[in-house]
Amino acid sequence: MSAPLLAVDDLVIEFDTQAGRRRVVDGVSFGVAEGEVLGILGESGSGKTMSTLAVLGLVAGNPGVMGGSIKVFDDGQPRELLEGLGRVIKRRGDKPARKNDRRWQRLVFRRMKPLWGRVMTAVFQNPRHSLDPLMTVGAQVEESVRLAEPALSKAEVGARAVDWLARVQMTDPSRVHGSYAHELSGGMCQRAMIAVALARRPRLLIADEPTTGLDTTVRAEIVALFKELLADRGRSMLYISHDIREVLYLADRVIVMRHGRIVEEATAADLKAGVGRRDPYTASLLAAAELPVGQQGAA
Amino acid sequence: MTRASLLLIAALRRTAGGLLLLVGASFVIYITIRSAPGDAIDAISPMGTPPEVKAKLMAEFGLDRDPLTGYVAWLSRSAVGDFGESLVFAPGATVMDVGLPAFERTLALAGLALAACLVLALLGALLLGRPHPRQQLVTGPLYFVTAAPSFVVAVLFAQGMNWFVHTYVEQGGYETPPWYPIPIYSESWMPYLFAGIVLVAGDGLFTDFLNAVRAELQGLRNAQFIAAVRAKGARTVSHIARNMVVPLVSGYAARLPIVLGGVVIVEYIFTLDGAGYLLLEAARERDFPIVVGLSVLFTATIIVVNLLADIVRALVDPREVARGG
Amino acid sequence: MEAKAERLGLWSSGAVVAVVLLLGVVAPFVAYDPASAVDYDQQLVGPSAAHWFGTDGQGRDVAIRLLKGIEAFFLPGLLAGLAATTLGALAGAIAGYAEGWVRSAVLGLMQLIDTLPRLVFIILVCTILNPSISLIAGVAAVLFVPNIATVVRRKVEALASEDYILAHIAHGFRPTRILLYHIIWLQCRPLLIRQATYVFGYVLFVETALSYLGDYGVQEPTPSWGNMVAQTRELAGAAPWPWLFPALAIVITISGFLAFGNLLARREEEALR
Repeated sequence: MSAPLLAVDDLVIEFDTQAGRRRVVDGVSFGVAEGEVLGILGESGSGKTMSTLAVLGLVAGNPGVMGGSIKVFDDGQPRELLEGLGRVIKRRGDKPARKNDRRWQRLVFRRMKPLWGRVMTAVFQNPRHSLDPLMTVGAQVEESVRLAEPALSKAEVGARAVDWLARVQMTDPSRVHGSYAHELSGGMCQRAMIAVALARRPRLLIADEPTTGLDTTVRAEIVALFKELLADRGRSMLYISHDIREVLYLADRVIVMRHGRIVEEATAADLKAGVGRRDPYTASLLAAAELPVGQQGAA
Repeated sequence: MTRASLLLIAALRRTAGGLLLLVGASFVIYITIRSAPGDAIDAISPMGTPPEVKAKLMAEFGLDRDPLTGYVAWLSRSAVGDFGESLVFAPGATVMDVGLPAFERTLALAGLALAACLVLALLGALLLGRPHPRQQLVTGPLYFVTAAPSFVVAVLFAQGMNWFVHTYVEQGGYETPPWYPIPIYSESWMPYLFAGIVLVAGDGLFTDFLNAVRAELQGLRNAQFIAAVRAKGARTVSHIARNMVVPLVSGYAARLPIVLGGVVIVEYIFTLDGAGYLLLEAARERDFPIVVGLSVLFTATIIVVNLLADIVRALVDPREVARGG
Repeated sequence: MEAKAERLGLWSSGAVVAVVLLLGVVAPFVAYDPASAVDYDQQLVGPSAAHWFGTDGQGRDVAIRLLKGIEAFFLPGLLAGLAATTLGALAGAIAGYAEGWVRSAVLGLMQLIDTLPRLVFIILVCTILNPSISLIAGVAAVLFVPNIATVVRRKVEALASEDYILAHIAHGFRPTRILLYHIIWLQCRPLLIRQATYVFGYVLFVETALSYLGDYGVQEPTPSWGNMVAQTRELAGAAPWPWLFPALAIVITISGFLAFGNLLARREEEALR
């Protein structure tokens, strides 16, 4: 097995709601190895987005991340994001009660700063809101290019940005380069966002429901784009979706989440072929997608 | 069309809209004059005005004609800055001669005070950071204190000053310290500084601005594109700063009318020789041309500043131009 | 913690509002003759059992003048708040719902009123017309209509494309009912509460400010918080109570009403969510 890039262990995320404390991620563990595509599958509210935001260090306060460990491997060196987290969590009895959000954020941001972009970056759902509305798309791609390749001259940076926009299959890259987010369609915004993320040349790309809110045909195009970009350079990716077809199409390995827990972990090949015992929830997802279900029951 | 030409068209359109507003607002002011009970000329002239002055006033304000043609006559004179002559305050001098220098001082005071308020609100918002429940224990009372009307703040301020002066004199100082702002009229900039402080602190201006900036900053920090910028490892400062320009400029323009009201009160209390003080003195002595002239100047200022804010918005935010407003 | 602080704010500001409303209702039934209240043997007496808040320069009891002073702005303020919110909601509903020239006309009118500098315009009106607190309140109400209309219009426009409103239309509800009941009454109420308390506070502010600045507003010897504060400001250092208590009353009332409107509106907004 190749070197690990990310290892999440026993992650716990909680939120305070009017109905009291709710555990949205309940002891989740998963990992991504170099060159691997891990798919996380789950319905909305299953905790899949929260887990990935936690990996990025972007879960805002209101308790938020309450326990577990997130290791990111930077050239084989493990970096533990949540080390010392216990210090900012106040306990009542032996239960974690509140945490000091500001101190927590400062701690995590400081650790994430050298990792963001270089080791991993993300493409979010809702592409329209992922781009700075006041900057041209080109300027935002250029910002990534400059961070990834600081040695380039200004002209080279511009050319590289147009190149990236062409690589995400924009029909008119030089026009898009000078456009603003509000002038583009949702699908084009997501392509632009993918260009911004990839131009940064991350080791691990995290795609958090990148097709949500897009039209069916556009979704297919974006998924195809991901597939092509993956084939292009053997990139590692964490792909989160509620669509089993997308996940099976892109991922090497799949975990299925429900109610904040992992209910299933299997290779995409096994799932597609219907090999092995399936959790009932996974089985229902497979059945709904008219795929072979295989055996049911606890694996 | 290129973005620049679209921008130019938007700017021209907004300027035209601003002019239209100015005409409309001046019409409201004119109609207010015409709505005086009884004979309008008696309502607007001071006691014992000689008949020939009355006749001149009648002609100036078009009171001898029907409201519409009267308005057109008055407007065509006002449009070139001819608001007639002062009656009581500075007889013989034109309104512009008396009013404009005073108005410039007022505008400087109000504009700078509001700018200071903006800077302080921004600093405060950055310093306080994300809203935290416990901060309400601080901001609650702060809100209470600064919701105090400016004249209350001013008197408290003056009392504090008096107390200071007493101790100063008791300690063997000269009668009043050189920086004492109240109530001596002086050419020094000190009274303006104190007036500015009261202006910033009074009428809830600062807290209101602070809350607005904090909410804006908080919304921006939670915005998805900022998370995306963070995730790619770029600095968020420039993105946040750029996106704060529009709300700050809008906030400035939106609060100007409040400050221009506050400046009237503050100038009166600190006896500053500005347009607000002039307006009140002229109103007291029924020097009507000055009152009307200054009202138009105040209104025009608000329109012009809003227009400038619109143009800045259009320059910074490409969506504004796209909306074609 | 957050909820606790907010509840505390809501209760304390609610208490201020309740006390002001109660005193405002009671005040007209309290007999008070300003002329006979003058007592030159009792000038500027400090707070005592007989005079809770002391006496002013003419030996009049400050407490009773404070109570009677409420009358000056109470009814005009309430009516102005009511008028401004009603007119504002209507104008906002029309501007949000109508199309074409009606919409442009309402928007233009609102923008026009909004450019008038409020205090300056009120002073102008007061120099032309006979200044009275009702006139001031009326003008203030009109000057606040655009504010209210804008927030209502935004809400109407935002809701117009909501599915449940579309469903109401599909169900054949009358548009006026949808607009006035489902949108304005059910959805805009928090906004309107906030704006109404704001206008009430503004009327009190203008009344006191104008008493301060000139002889507009309520005339002596009839008490108003404005003229109480204005007359006694010179004495504020030597004998603070005749100035301090009305000033405190003004500050507490204005901030109490503002805070109550804000917190109540926020609570209702949360309930709507």
